[in-house]
Amino acid sequence: MVNGYAPTSLQEALTIRAAHAVIPYAGGTDLMVQGRKGVFLFLNKIDELRRVTVDDDYIRIGAGVTFTEAIAHPDVPALMKEAVSGIAAPAIRNAGTFGGNLGNASDKADSVLIEYVSDALIRLQSITGERLVPTDQFILSRGVNALHDDELIVEVLLPRAAFDAQYSYLKVGGRNALAISHIAFAGLYDSEGGRVSRLSAAVIADAGTVLRFRDLEQQLVGLSVDDARQQKEIFLSAFGERIVLGRGRVSGEYRKAVSLNLLRDFLDRFLG
Amino acid sequence: MKEICTSVKKKDHDAKIQGRAVYVGDYERTDRGEPILVGKLLRSNIARARVSSVTVPPLPNGYCYVNADDVPGDNNVNIVLDDTPVFCRETVEYIGEPIGMVVGPNEEEVDRILGAIEVAYEPLPPVIELRTAKEFFFEYEYGHGDVVRAFAEADKVYDEEFETGYQDQTYLETQSMMAEPEGDGIYVHGSLQCAYYVHGAVMRAMGMGPDQVRIFQDVTGGGFGGKEAYPSILACQVAVAAHKAQAPVRCVFDRREDLEFTSKRHPSLCRYRAAVKDGRVTALECDVLFNAGAYSTLSAVVLQRGIISAPGVYHIENVHVRGRAAKTNTTPSGAYRGFGAPQTFFAVEMLMSHIAQDRGEDSIDFKERQLVSQGDMTSTEGRYHFPVPLRAMLDEVDAACDLRRKHRAYAQPQSGRYRRGIGMSAVFHGSGFTGSAERDMIRAVAKLRKYRDGTVEVLASNGDIGQGVRTTFPKIVAHELNLPLERVFYQHPDTARVPDSGPTVASRSLMIVGELLRRAAIKLRACWVDGEEQEVEEHYREPDFMIPFYIDRFQGDAYATYAWTVNAVEVEVDTYTGISRVLGAYGSFDVGTPIDYHIVLGQMEGGFLQGLGYSSIEKMDYDNNGKIWNHSFTDYLVPTTLDVPNMVAMLHVEEYPDGPYGAKGAGELPLVGAAPAYVEAVEQALGGSGVHRLNHVPFTPEDTLLELIKEVK
Repeated sequence: MVNGYAPTSLQEALTIRAAHAVIPYAGGTDLMVQGRKGVFLFLNKIDELRRVTVDDDYIRIGAGVTFTEAIAHPDVPALMKEAVSGIAAPAIRNAGTFGGNLGNASDKADSVLIEYVSDALIRLQSITGERLVPTDQFILSRGVNALHDDELIVEVLLPRAAFDAQYSYLKVGGRNALAISHIAFAGLYDSEGGRVSRLSAAVIADAGTVLRFRDLEQQLVGLSVDDARQQKEIFLSAFGERIVLGRGRVSGEYRKAVSLNLLRDFLDRFLG
Repeated sequence: MKEICTSVKKKDHDAKIQGRAVYVGDYERTDRGEPILVGKLLRSNIARARVSSVTVPPLPNGYCYVNADDVPGDNNVNIVLDDTPVFCRETVEYIGEPIGMVVGPNEEEVDRILGAIEVAYEPLPPVIELRTAKEFFFEYEYGHGDVVRAFAEADKVYDEEFETGYQDQTYLETQSMMAEPEGDGIYVHGSLQCAYYVHGAVMRAMGMGPDQVRIFQDVTGGGFGGKEAYPSILACQVAVAAHKAQAPVRCVFDRREDLEFTSKRHPSLCRYRAAVKDGRVTALECDVLFNAGAYSTLSAVVLQRGIISAPGVYHIENVHVRGRAAKTNTTPSGAYRGFGAPQTFFAVEMLMSHIAQDRGEDSIDFKERQLVSQGDMTSTEGRYHFPVPLRAMLDEVDAACDLRRKHRAYAQPQSGRYRRGIGMSAVFHGSGFTGSAERDMIRAVAKLRKYRDGTVEVLASNGDIGQGVRTTFPKIVAHELNLPLERVFYQHPDTARVPDSGPTVASRSLMIVGELLRRAAIKLRACWVDGEEQEVEEHYREPDFMIPFYIDRFQGDAYATYAWTVNAVEVEVDTYTGISRVLGAYGSFDVGTPIDYHIVLGQMEGGFLQGLGYSSIEKMDYDNNGKIWNHSFTDYLVPTTLDVPNMVAMLHVEEYPDGPYGAKGAGELPLVGAAPAYVEAVEQALGGSGVHRLNHVPFTPEDTLLELIKEVK
């Protein structure tokens, strides 16, 4: 017997969340597999969480939007669609949600990689207010996020400017469907007047969290494309030194080598 | 195609598609309305130890603990030898070995009790690595010709080692059995392939006569060999538990238990030496080592098939083969589709390819030149009595995928991120039991019972495990009796009702038992009287042409006939990720006449896909303590349809006169040749064996990338 609450409005859900020890439940694709026991807060009947909207700065994806819905939605950026198309299989994508991918704080969540690389914000809400938290401050470590006990994940805010850029993306799993990423790479690139105006690279490599090194990126941003090309090897080598991997499903040596191959391919593509 | 080949709707289709099929885990209560107790195994968590004590906490009413002391008969499970205990003896020999079973009405309480039991061990040094194993359950040797002389006279000698890993059957339904006390006897039913194997094992463990033990196969969610021997062990355990509890007991494994602790394909280490003279292999020495695990289970027969297949499909004058099954303190290995042959065929096919490449010759030409033909001697000095269609099948595969041209083109140096390769294999699978076991040990009997209303029931012991015998057996009988298929039916076997027509193994059911049923139907047709209940019976007869097989010398016809296949696999390797995308997998398969076209095609495609999984991604291994770590479907991956989107399976029919309408063994063949074709393709994409000599499966993307890193260094 599964116990829980099934609110139909966000306000109602937040009230329950504040008053009871409940486990937020969206698509259930992780919680059901884990066989978690407890009182659930079912969020899939809340329309406010199931919308995709666009304002001047952001594409806002509701926490309850499923991956299948996102793939079909005209306003969801192509890079995000590509990433979530690689999640599991259709049945899981029909149920799994953006909020859930953040909620379980896996370091291998396919949609979260795109949130990292694009500097997305996560909107959290409670009955007392709301917070906008950058993705890399929301995910703290493997399985741990910054969500408070009285909060719910409400929305993902994808900066529109980031998705106007060009991108590279590849997921490397154990097989072509129903596979957890061994490695996944996402990179964004843009130039303006011969100068690098945007360069960001994020990697899933079973490292505890998604890897992204802003300080290294900043050394290239603003340079002329020619100068940036000269710095490529230094960037790659510095990135490589930061990839320190422990044991995993596949060896650290493999994950690091593939990560750097994909990073090099990304830089080659845009810097030449 | 003959009329009998026309596909029909499978007899169990509707029940399975509609979710009405009752698997053993589905029973709410027994057929007699009794509640069912949950049984769960207490397992060793150490690879080898003396069990000095087991401290069971006070048990609530209705719960009991069962161990070896409760076995009324013999605490040994009858498989090939009897070394597998029902519950452990003084020592445990692998991680996961059953020490006892906790039984009771509530699963959570059973789990709680299991967690509270304290087992004290005195650890003993385990043998974990196959290479360091010193104890062998079985050692065989055979050969012919003058190997020493051929090596002395060789132009060149090749010496190579090949390694293959575990493969788990990953049937949808995990191992599951239930036992119910019935008067002074016991009724055991569940997920199984071989009702009479279980019957024999339970009789022995329970100390009961044949009439006291009744075994029934419930609807079974896949076997692939994994339910050939293992259900005998679990059946004995639940039977003993039900006897002690005097109540029905059911044990359903969870996936982790099943992946970690039930039998899977034997890992192997094969050393091959070949003498080559004038462009031909003149002698072959094969040293075949299988990891049997902690108990011998089916290793004897798996090894026999493995070493008989060791020289492959080539005509080689001088052959010496040694085979050993090593004991290690790991989960006992067992039967899996192919039964020892995938390991040795991988070795011989890769070796042939490597020799050809070293000679600067296209390996397809090199292999084709040396293929066996009808009338040639087999590895065991028997004969290939029937046509060997490999050359024609090679042409069919070539036509399907432009094999020969691509194989030459991809052998040229490639650069860039994506590189292609195509690999080819040619293999056989001997149909039915090895040697004269059908005649001497199995002695299959099959019956037909005609009822007054004119319907006919097939009485045989072969279980439908998805391969379709509930459909194909009635198809044969209906065909001979000229009845509509609806009037002939075949239930799951119940040893109280059916004769022993042998186990559901060795690609034998259709060829051997199907033929008995065909003959029985002809007999019934001759004596058919409307309105009467009638029964006819047929017994196995060995075909006249067989050269007697002596297992002590490995001499004679190991198999009456063979199923053949030629496979080609084309891949594109991404050198950035190591991933090999399968661009196409092509196979021509000769299993004789397909008794149902779609059923056979499904078998070919499914087996081929399993073989590709074995080749590429199905990696299972244990750590230094002997603990298998890939025990979930997150960590043990089998291929999905998206992994081989382009698969072409073609049938090439060479009719076998002693099989029904020309049918031969089908079930295992399609898995056997996939690995060498796949690995040869990857090797070619990486630049060929001169640059990267690949010699193990699974060959994973990680292996590929590490090869490429080696190249850079």
